[in-house]
Amino acid sequence: MTPLTETGWLGPSGALMAAPAIGFAFGWFLERGGLGSAPKLAGQFYLTDLTVFKVMFSALLTAMLGAFWLDRLGVLQLQLVYLPETFALPQAIGGALFGVGFLIAGLCPGTSCVAAATGRRDGLGVIAGMLLGVGLFNMAFAWIEPLYSATPMGAIRLTDLAGIAPGTGIACLTTVALTGFVVAGRIERRPR
Amino acid sequence: MTRLHLFLAVVAAVMAAAAGAADLASPVESRASGAPAAFIAAPDLADRIVNGDARLRLFDLRPASAYEQFHIPTARRAAPAELAAAPLGSGADVVLYGDDRATVSDAIRVLRTRREATVQVLREGVSEWLGRVHEPRLAVDATPEERAQFERAAPLSRFFGGVPLAGVPRSEVPTGYWTGTPRSEELLEAAALQSVAMIRRRGC
Repeated sequence: MTPLTETGWLGPSGALMAAPAIGFAFGWFLERGGLGSAPKLAGQFYLTDLTVFKVMFSALLTAMLGAFWLDRLGVLQLQLVYLPETFALPQAIGGALFGVGFLIAGLCPGTSCVAAATGRRDGLGVIAGMLLGVGLFNMAFAWIEPLYSATPMGAIRLTDLAGIAPGTGIACLTTVALTGFVVAGRIERRPR
Repeated sequence: MTRLHLFLAVVAAVMAAAAGAADLASPVESRASGAPAAFIAAPDLADRIVNGDARLRLFDLRPASAYEQFHIPTARRAAPAELAAAPLGSGADVVLYGDDRATVSDAIRVLRTRREATVQVLREGVSEWLGRVHEPRLAVDATPEERAQFERAAPLSRFFGGVPLAGVPRSEVPTGYWTGTPRSEELLEAAALQSVAMIRRRGC
């Protein structure tokens, strides 16, 4: 039955109508999670506030376990869910750039929209910078393209690389995440 | 840590342990839904057709009307369910193409239950065939690599009754996975929908 857009239950119009609702819910949960605040997000890098880590890993665990079990129960056709291709070098460079931008601005693309929606001018500033970056990227694309498409690895998963079953990978990652939650709590509580 | 956090952590741990145990008891590889099928590029498919590859079984999953209008030579039309009983022969290399990923995915699932054939997918279907085999285009300022690709594609295009176009303006040579400009309104619409889907899936 699902994913609804791929199995034809939800046509292009339905998908377009569902997108704002999902986007609104995403933004609302980010804001309620405290991720509209730049100081809180920057706290991640100084190990004073690990909310980002906890919120993101909670979401990751929920999605991962949910997708696995819904597929197992026959509700979700997991092979229809788009798996983005990996381009190791450009994505590593992009990740580093993203991290630098995150640290400088205190916001990422999603949280900058949340911040702007709550009236924060720093959010508007980050959105403006993001749009400027999009424009520059497009203008320089011919020059960047060799790097953009370098080191293609296809649509691979960590479990494929490790040569283990998806369920085993899920068990390992859940153990890492739960241990991480405990460690994060201790780091936040340590005296300064 | 609150009681709610502790409860959720226990739920996650139990579900994760069960996921590991479920895969050990019933590996994913043995299930029909399995890993994504491999893709085959249109020029590679064309080579196999030209060479009369006896192991190749090509199936068109689109509606009968679309098949009647145009189909890739040697392709047989089939609905996903019909593939359960289609004669393949042991060791066959099945190649599928269709209009939507759901249909192709259903067909892959059906074929995987038979375990007697490898399955590949022509990713962009008829649009890719038309763009890369039937009407390959060479830009007026083509690079040596593009020229080499075109020289490979041109004889294939003529073999299948197509028209290779050389010396076209750069702006009329699309870049990306499939090249060539589909001329009919239906194909333009299909290409646009594919582009929209790609953009949607690449969102942050």
